[in-house]
Amino acid sequence: DVKSYRKVQEDDDADGARVGGNEKFTNRPDNTAFTQQRLPAWQPILSAGIVIPGFVLIGLAFIGVGVALFVTSRSIQVLERDYTGDESGTPCASCANSNVQNCICTLNITVETLFKGPVFFYYGLSNYFQNYRRYGTSKDDNQLYGVLNPSDNCAPYAYNSNNQPIVPCGSIANSMFNDTFKLYQTVNGTRQEVSLDGKGIAWWTDYNIKYRNPTNNPLKDAFNGSNSGLFYRNFLINPIYWSKPAYELDTSDPSNNGFVNQDFLVWMRRAALPDFRKLYRRISQDKYPDGLPAGNYSLEITYNYRVYRFSGKKKVVFSNVSWMGGKNEFLGIAYLVVGSMCVFMSIVMLIVYAKFKFPDEE
Amino acid sequence: DNVVRSYKYSPLTFLPLTLFEQFQRAANLYYLLMMVLQCVPAISSIPWYITIIPLISILSVRGLKDLSNDMQARRRSDSEINSRPCDILISQSFRTKKWKDVCVGDVLRIHKDQVIPADLLLLCSSEPHSLCYVETADIDETNLKYRQALSATHNELTSNPSEEALGAFDVVLCEEPNNRLYTFRGQLQWRGEILPLDSEHILLRGTVLRNTGFAYGLAIYTADSKILRNSGKLKVKRTQMEKVFNKVVIGIVLCVLLAALLLAIGNGVFSTQVMRQTDALSALVVNSDAVYTGFLVYWSYIILLSPAMPIALYIRFELVHTVHSLFIGWDLEMYWQQGDKPAQARNTSLNEELGQVGYLLSDKTGTLTQNRLLFRQCCIAGDIYLMDLSWNPFSCGGLFMSAPALVDRLRRNQCPLSRQFFTALALCHTVMAEWKEQAASPDEEALVGAARELGWVFLSRARDFIVVSEMGVTRRYQLLALLDFTSKRRRMSVLVREPEGGIKLYCKGADIVILERLQKDCPYQERMETALELFAEACLRTLCVAVRSVPEALWERWNKTLSQSATMATCDRDVLLEELYDKMEMDLQLLGVTAIEDRLQDGVPETIALLQEAGIKVWVLTGDKKTAVNIGFSCKLLDPDSRIVEWQELQAEFDQRPEWGATFMSLTEHCRSVLCCRVTPAQKAGIVNMVQKHTSSVTMSIGDGANDVNMIKAHVGVGLAGVEGGQAVQNADFALSQFRFLQRLLLIHGRWSYRRISLFLRYFLFKTCSFALVHVWFGFFNGFSAQQDVSAENSLKFPELYHSGQKHELSSPLKLSLSLLYAVYASLVFFFIPFGVFYNTALDYQTMAVTVSMAATFTATIEIILMTRYWTKFNIAAVVVSVVLFFICTRITHNTRLFQQSPKDYYFLVWLTALLTAWTAVLPSVTAFALNVILTLHDKHK
Repeated sequence: DVKSYRKVQEDDDADGARVGGNEKFTNRPDNTAFTQQRLPAWQPILSAGIVIPGFVLIGLAFIGVGVALFVTSRSIQVLERDYTGDESGTPCASCANSNVQNCICTLNITVETLFKGPVFFYYGLSNYFQNYRRYGTSKDDNQLYGVLNPSDNCAPYAYNSNNQPIVPCGSIANSMFNDTFKLYQTVNGTRQEVSLDGKGIAWWTDYNIKYRNPTNNPLKDAFNGSNSGLFYRNFLINPIYWSKPAYELDTSDPSNNGFVNQDFLVWMRRAALPDFRKLYRRISQDKYPDGLPAGNYSLEITYNYRVYRFSGKKKVVFSNVSWMGGKNEFLGIAYLVVGSMCVFMSIVMLIVYAKFKFPDEE
Repeated sequence: DNVVRSYKYSPLTFLPLTLFEQFQRAANLYYLLMMVLQCVPAISSIPWYITIIPLISILSVRGLKDLSNDMQARRRSDSEINSRPCDILISQSFRTKKWKDVCVGDVLRIHKDQVIPADLLLLCSSEPHSLCYVETADIDETNLKYRQALSATHNELTSNPSEEALGAFDVVLCEEPNNRLYTFRGQLQWRGEILPLDSEHILLRGTVLRNTGFAYGLAIYTADSKILRNSGKLKVKRTQMEKVFNKVVIGIVLCVLLAALLLAIGNGVFSTQVMRQTDALSALVVNSDAVYTGFLVYWSYIILLSPAMPIALYIRFELVHTVHSLFIGWDLEMYWQQGDKPAQARNTSLNEELGQVGYLLSDKTGTLTQNRLLFRQCCIAGDIYLMDLSWNPFSCGGLFMSAPALVDRLRRNQCPLSRQFFTALALCHTVMAEWKEQAASPDEEALVGAARELGWVFLSRARDFIVVSEMGVTRRYQLLALLDFTSKRRRMSVLVREPEGGIKLYCKGADIVILERLQKDCPYQERMETALELFAEACLRTLCVAVRSVPEALWERWNKTLSQSATMATCDRDVLLEELYDKMEMDLQLLGVTAIEDRLQDGVPETIALLQEAGIKVWVLTGDKKTAVNIGFSCKLLDPDSRIVEWQELQAEFDQRPEWGATFMSLTEHCRSVLCCRVTPAQKAGIVNMVQKHTSSVTMSIGDGANDVNMIKAHVGVGLAGVEGGQAVQNADFALSQFRFLQRLLLIHGRWSYRRISLFLRYFLFKTCSFALVHVWFGFFNGFSAQQDVSAENSLKFPELYHSGQKHELSSPLKLSLSLLYAVYASLVFFFIPFGVFYNTALDYQTMAVTVSMAATFTATIEIILMTRYWTKFNIAAVVVSVVLFFICTRITHNTRLFQQSPKDYYFLVWLTALLTAWTAVLPSVTAFALNVILTLHDKHK
């Protein structure tokens, strides 16, 4: 009896399902895969046969990448010279100790073998906290987009004591790196200037989108009180630490001035960590297509930037790049370590597996 | 007026009320504080209007949800109730108006089967003596009661039936509105007389007029009616998971405060040590005061770390809950075709508790059984008669062949006892003759039906006589008194004067109460008791039927005392009545025993066995004993070596020594099932509370009738939408139609819900904490994941899987702290691998941020992939969409040509670093996962 009763009920169910919105069963839930939580699903069935080889494969892949990175990194040439001058006897010691503006010191550099191009020329700073939060927010994006009134973000580098607006305002701009470098190759006793390429060293977005000069032409007008971007007519003031106004950053190229000056853009893009380097120039590929040939070079430094008060270091770096970017041994080693860990884990798993699978043989 | 307003909000009060309610949640207050902090320019990290967006959205989502609940459910049901029709006397004629138009003092005409709209003073009715019957199924367990008008009003109105007379009452004095359903005191001042009123004269709102043509009533309480006063507020039930979650949140807040403090101290030190010497930074020390700078930085860090407490988590919690509730309602296998009733999650926030139930407390009648009663056997004068064996599941009783031997005896008029037995059945009940639909009590219907089939037909009932046809001869019994049934007395009696003039008391009731009231040396008593045992073993519900010949003198004395008691105060009267009834119901002569079958519902034994296998302790609470024990055996609740506790004996002890409760509970911990016999409704709730008090497990109670309401309200309550009224369902958190659906509700929905919620919580903890610790915020990742680790079939096949929920395995402090520890590890990896890579390079701040967040996204995605064991198209879509969304958002928020600058040395490095970081971060959990795979494989082999 029970069976036949159940049967009837099942038949009813089937009917209900077929008719769907049967009047008699208005409260009947919909019989769809979703409402019944019976969606077609893939349940991966994992076994030791998949997991262990998987681990080995991933480990091997990591080791492979690690080896590639490590080898590539090794092939990258880097030439790094400190020129802080905090130790006596070093070339820039005299400049470091005097307060003379545009103090010039010369660094002699010997390149043993051909420094393959393209060669990048960086300056580096250490113990320098460009990532400090209040430092990082101390700029005015609107001003750098051409609206010259400084905002409160820039305080205390927004206005000078005469209430004149500072352009560009803020701590980052104020502390802009202002050492300059000239590289000479000594060929047969004569110094021959190596031409450096300063174009396109900043980010595309910074140059084309984020930063924009006021529309005044020439640019100087914007800074002497006749500009349109200011709410009230006033003379603009350079940042306190700057020796020259923003419109004279590059005297050789009028278009490379103001907020879109490449060096300025590079500086404004803050470093992530207190030890960093920033791109200064590229060795011009027109004249040195293969890179820097072996030989003696001298680097003429215009020493302006003071770092001794916060025991910072300054350096210059020449480096070429590969597909993985600059020299970076850490990444390769980290890949190797993690890859080896995976392989090691897979061996452990294999042992565990063997122990459980063949417990009698133990 | 009589308007019911159960809704909370009006257009004016909505905003302040909802804000007040929502800011009682600690999380919302916290976010408000964050927003206020963001408004302070010195410390804000992002503009204040960005923080206000999530806050506004969470407030509005909740507010709108509450509002729609209010509008849809409450307002609609209110307006439905308020616009029910009723007849009101207006200027000397009755007009049909709506319920809400009823005012105190209105005279109403109530028709048969109409629901009474307000508390009324009964003036008169169409029946003789202005008697009328009300069905109180919505209020209490006993079903049909009669009410009677004052004889003064009855006489006046029946002798002069006019609308004018109805409107001519002077003053009714009533007590203050209160919620006591069974008492009322007042007086009617009418024509210079003062007539006392009590609850006998009152028709309560919500009761239904039965078996009475019409009745006139005077409205005395409208919006203050007793039933409305009685409907208490629903207690907000919190799940254990929510409690755990709240604790975690408090922990996180403390950690954030501590971390911010340490970081601020660090900043103070940095300010004095480093910044002063750095020209570029020295001016940034605010007011040249390192301590002040540190103070500002403290608040900045609190803002920065605030994503560790995700605002969206509460919303998502609720979303997941709601979806799970919908799934419960959608489940076809919990849909009862016959009643057209799907399962229903009335309380959406308790789903994961279903996965942690440790104790199931169940009612018996109507919950384990069908509550469809069939008269199966009887024992008269020591002889057992089998009534019927041809079982028909759709029969409601009554249609059956009778035992030929019994018919023979009755026909030949041999056995006076058997004649009296059926006379008793035909007389001693509260059934109405016109009652065609479902009987007030299924028991009585079965008994009266059986008597009818055998020739004792109950014809009609008036206030003071009952007409019965006995084997074709119509006899009129004068009804002297009706000693009604209560769950405490467990018996009822009628006192009648036979047409011949003798006075007889017919009594029926539970075996234990009747047997102790029998006269000494009652004939056949031993054989009857054997029969009782026999019936109980066959899981039949037994009732004893007895008779007593009452001497005229005793009746007169007794009646005098009874009429005296009518003038007494209610509480005194109750005591006196009880004594009085006791006096009358003694020296009984046992006539026979009826045995009614209450069949078990389909699948009950299987369900109980399954639940026990799942480690759930099943308690059955029931009013009787022997039948309960046998039902216990038949539904696999009891083993042959089980012991049975009689609650009555324990109750007194517990009252005196509360500490015994704990001892008792520790004893029952070793029991798989407990059967509590002879329990009254109030004690049921007491037991539930005791279990709840002495155990950390989730207790669930299931019941179907109004007498289970207290028990259902206690913790997770399941109401069975069965034969009895809807009271249980109204008060329950979940509504089912059949007991067997419980296995799906607990073992499948509960388990999934619990797994999903706890994994979701852990995942969320891991994700937010690890990200917050590296101060990288991105909120676009979609954390909603579906979790079905084991299919529905297997959940039922392996009930042991349920254990993990009872032990709180997935949400244990250990597991939670493990996820937190893992989060700390991941955050270290997130920071220090990119740190190593970026150290002394030309890569900038933004690139590093993108790398870290990319690594974090990869990690979160891999984690989700590891956690998901059950891939549907929705999962796959969710994972893919969230990753794609992240990249789109990164591109938008950072810049359009992130990887396109010169020199092009970022592209590979960022990817390689992110990959390495992500893999290193998930390595522990991947390893644990792999080891788990290997070890479970081993289990399967075993």
